[in-house]
Amino acid sequence: MQLASSVTQFSLNRPKVVTALMVIFTLVLGAFMVRVHVDTDPENMLSEDEFVRVFHNKTKKDFTLHDVVVLGIVNEKDQDGVFNPESLKKVDALSRFAATLADPDDPERKVVSRDIVAPGNVDNIIQDGPGRVRFEWLMKEVPQTREEARKVRDYALSNPLLKGSMVSENGRALALYLPITSKDFAHAVGEQLKEKIEELGAGDDQFYITGLPIAEDTFGKEMFVQMAITAPLAMLMIFLLMLFFFRNIQLIVAPMIIALCTVIATMGVLIGTGNTLHIMSSMIPIFIMPIAVVDSVHILSEFFDEYQRNKDRKATMEHVLGHLFKPMLFTSLTSAAGFASLAFTPIPPVQAFGIFVALGILLAWLLTILFIPAYVMMMKESSLENFGGGVDQNNKDNKGSLLNRHLRWIGSMASGKPWLVIGFNLAVMAVGVVGIFMIQVNDNPVKWFKSSHEIRVADRVLNSHFGGTYESYLILSGTDKELSSVQAADWLTRTLDKQLMESSTIRAKVINAIREIAPTLQSGTELADTLKKLWEAELDQVAMEDELGYDLWSDALDGLERMANLKEVFKRPDVLRYISDLQEHLVAQGDVGKSNTVSDVVKKVHMELFEGDKGHYSIPDSVEGVAQTLISFESSHKPDDLYHLVTPDYTRANIWLQLRSGDNVDMERVIADIDQYLTKNPPPVELNHNWAGLTYINVVWQEKMVNGMLKSFISSFAVVFLMMSFLFRSPVWGLLAMIPLTFTIGFIYGVIGLIGKDYDMPVAVLSSLALGLAVDFAIHFLQRTRMTMAKTGDWAAAIQDMFDEPARAILRNIIVISIGFTPLLLAPLVPYQTVGVFLAAIMFYSGLATLWMLPALLTVMQGWVFKKELREFAENSGKTV
Amino acid sequence: MKRTTVLLCMLLLMASSPIAAAGQPDQPDVEEIVNKANLAAYYSANDGRAEVTMTVTDSQGRERIREFVILRLDVEDGGQQFFYVYFKKPSDVRKMVFMVHKHVTRDDDRWVYLPALDLVKRIAASDKRTSFVGTNFLYEDVSGRNLSEDSHELVETTDKFYVVKSTPRDVNGVEFSSYTLNIDKENFLPMKAVYLDKNGKEYRIVEALKVKEFDGIPTVTVSKVTDLAAGSSTLSEMKSIKYDIGLKEKIFTERYLRRPPRAVRR
Repeated sequence: MQLASSVTQFSLNRPKVVTALMVIFTLVLGAFMVRVHVDTDPENMLSEDEFVRVFHNKTKKDFTLHDVVVLGIVNEKDQDGVFNPESLKKVDALSRFAATLADPDDPERKVVSRDIVAPGNVDNIIQDGPGRVRFEWLMKEVPQTREEARKVRDYALSNPLLKGSMVSENGRALALYLPITSKDFAHAVGEQLKEKIEELGAGDDQFYITGLPIAEDTFGKEMFVQMAITAPLAMLMIFLLMLFFFRNIQLIVAPMIIALCTVIATMGVLIGTGNTLHIMSSMIPIFIMPIAVVDSVHILSEFFDEYQRNKDRKATMEHVLGHLFKPMLFTSLTSAAGFASLAFTPIPPVQAFGIFVALGILLAWLLTILFIPAYVMMMKESSLENFGGGVDQNNKDNKGSLLNRHLRWIGSMASGKPWLVIGFNLAVMAVGVVGIFMIQVNDNPVKWFKSSHEIRVADRVLNSHFGGTYESYLILSGTDKELSSVQAADWLTRTLDKQLMESSTIRAKVINAIREIAPTLQSGTELADTLKKLWEAELDQVAMEDELGYDLWSDALDGLERMANLKEVFKRPDVLRYISDLQEHLVAQGDVGKSNTVSDVVKKVHMELFEGDKGHYSIPDSVEGVAQTLISFESSHKPDDLYHLVTPDYTRANIWLQLRSGDNVDMERVIADIDQYLTKNPPPVELNHNWAGLTYINVVWQEKMVNGMLKSFISSFAVVFLMMSFLFRSPVWGLLAMIPLTFTIGFIYGVIGLIGKDYDMPVAVLSSLALGLAVDFAIHFLQRTRMTMAKTGDWAAAIQDMFDEPARAILRNIIVISIGFTPLLLAPLVPYQTVGVFLAAIMFYSGLATLWMLPALLTVMQGWVFKKELREFAENSGKTV
Repeated sequence: MKRTTVLLCMLLLMASSPIAAAGQPDQPDVEEIVNKANLAAYYSANDGRAEVTMTVTDSQGRERIREFVILRLDVEDGGQQFFYVYFKKPSDVRKMVFMVHKHVTRDDDRWVYLPALDLVKRIAASDKRTSFVGTNFLYEDVSGRNLSEDSHELVETTDKFYVVKSTPRDVNGVEFSSYTLNIDKENFLPMKAVYLDKNGKEYRIVEALKVKEFDGIPTVTVSKVTDLAAGSSTLSEMKSIKYDIGLKEKIFTERYLRRPPRAVRR
């Protein structure tokens, strides 16, 4: 290739210029990194105008809801659990302390103290002697005696709004719910609570902190620690492995420099273009590094093997790049295409991830072909001397020969018993397909931590004691339909006819007025306005002593207002009972541990108004009964609590669900269940329903991600096939190039399905990496095979050649990358572990599929796939002869 | 009710504080000021009637309305008095009645009548700092805070106001750490109260926005409570204010809860 050799020449002749340019380029782009803006919010997996986010934010605003940090206190030793004076004293101190937490730099980031759920900050309605109720703080002051402490517990347990959420069902544990204005303040809250707990002394009490916001925010914080620790560790590991293979520090420093420059420049561009550093983009270095190193290893591996033969580095490098340039360009293009296809997913962070990994891959290619030759030229001749002969010797004597022996064994097996190899791989593929159908799509940000992580522990403990630490909101809303004048007349007649019994004169006047006026008007509102004027005039004329007249005309006017209030559906007894039934159904299904609704408030207050009689734990029979129960509740210390559950206009209600698991599969089950319930049991009035809450948002973005990934994968599969066919100028060879990739995907995802590993965010993204790496090996192998075949003219000879240096390069890559990323396994964050394990598995299997399946297939197909190469061979040998 | 409803708290009784305005002989002493303020705010004339509209505006600008008629009868100035609150709106709480027998030496007696449930309920009044039917006013704002519950200190005298700082004697019972009251020097009406929370931060403001004379009695007709932490506020507007209409003590009894006296009607 013309381009190839001129680039190589430039680099070989001007090594210092090339190096200087690369360094400057990297430094300039890298400088943008100072503008980094970190974003650890999984909500941003969806774009801001996504319906579910808009609705979620509207819901939070309409019902004054906040993201919540959960602080659980459990005492296994005390006979009364945490309900003893000493534990409660700590609980009180902690909730008072939490109320003061705010970001000193931005006072708007804070704990919303008035909405804290804690014994000292929730109101209680209790019996206070016969016929008397009392509103008081559940725990006005810290109890001094065990008896008082138990009283706090008993009151809490008797309040359905608190039981299962603030106080555990068994009455032994407490959970404080600390609302925060901004999710990214969660980690700070957690840390400060821990310090305070330390200061108070835990004693027999155990403290647990969890909740989605803290998991998400903490993940973000730990993510950076991991980036700072594991990425360099991986780099060190790769370095050591390369040192082991090539035994020449000077030489292997080159790929490290390239990987480093690529990562720095790519991250610089990412940040410089205004992208945030998100969970996804934090993984970019980890993905770019292996790919950047792979190209260099191909070159070095060949250079290393060939240098000793002619001892001329310039000629060797020209020769090596001569036949590697094209496959390297194509492997880079196809890998880049694989990642770039992620740009078509509907998830902004995944788009950025795909685009910038693609960019990094192309950059790595460019730097590799420019810098590696330049670097080799800048080395001292003496160190090259050393490198050539000595190492090769070494290699043959020691491990290298082991490697070589194995390679030869694989090669002879593949060509000797091709059907066995093909059959075996097909069997693996078949099992893989079965596994793929068993894949469970699921994710849960809390499970991004190792199961021994304190957040996971807290999650387990608290969800076993309480109704659940995962919140989602089912929002029901009435469909506001304006009554026509005739409908309004009908309603008014029916209602007032009954109400005005006491005076037939007034009743007749009222009914007649309705009957006469209604047909002349369009809307119910117009009718009401007209009647109101009329009846107010009547009321004014009632004589001072005529109490009945005054009452009835007031009733008539009242009827008009009640009609206007018909849209207040969540004061209707039938609707509230419907909600209660739905709640009962949900809890019976098991996923929902607890739910809070306006129905619960009405029932609890209604019961207390009737001497705490359990039979009155029910919804009053009239709208007025409900309204008067609710206004009684509003006479408490915290009337606003009502408006977390219903909007002040009573047109929308919040079914506040607590789930014990934040797994998307569990949330999905609840969603499906509710859809089914609403269809089977139609509500008494038409209601719309919609979901909000972090647990729900996670389901939505996962759904989008899985579908988006699938689409992007299929499209990139097609694109890569076209590119391969173009590269090899043959669809058959194009197809062959897809074989390792297809089998790798089949194997990897089959294993995921079989072992029951959830298909989550990192697993989804790995398909792109599998595609990139597997195609890389296939291209190198096939391209070299065709060249070798054209040279030897005989498949048996060709395969022997192939399993020498080309196969060695591939195998070295497999080992370097798969072992190089084992430090990821040490990360306490599961997605990083996942990436580490599957990166190794992908490398291993795609390498195996390349070195094993491709030669076996070629052996079987040798009669017709090599026509062009044999022709070339004939021409060449003709010339030679 | 007069100015009343609105009024906040001020009430201070005398029992209080020796600290006060010592050393300023030309001025009334703080006990005298808070006493006069209490009388001006809650005890004008012998009785009174007003129609009140309270508009609650939450942090999102959503409004809720409470409309009621309030009757007040003083048994003795600065001492026992009766309140009768008859609700007209929202329409679904119409005819609901809230009644208070305010005592100075013991807890008040409070009743609520819920017509739809046909229920008369007594409400324990040991803690009067609960919301008045879901508004930002507290029961204590409506009926007055016992002067003896705080110690009072005259912190400043401006051209128009006596500025009195009141600190609760029992901090456990209340959610504030202190409040500062601006008392009009002329008519002794409390014009503004600013409450500090337990961290010493302002969180609640009660203010008189409009004062008008009725029968020669200066009366707060428009007042407002702002909850700074919640971002909500309640505006109280009074009309049809009348004094000395000859209310009888018997209407402030349980019997009249179910059958409201004529006085509430017009």
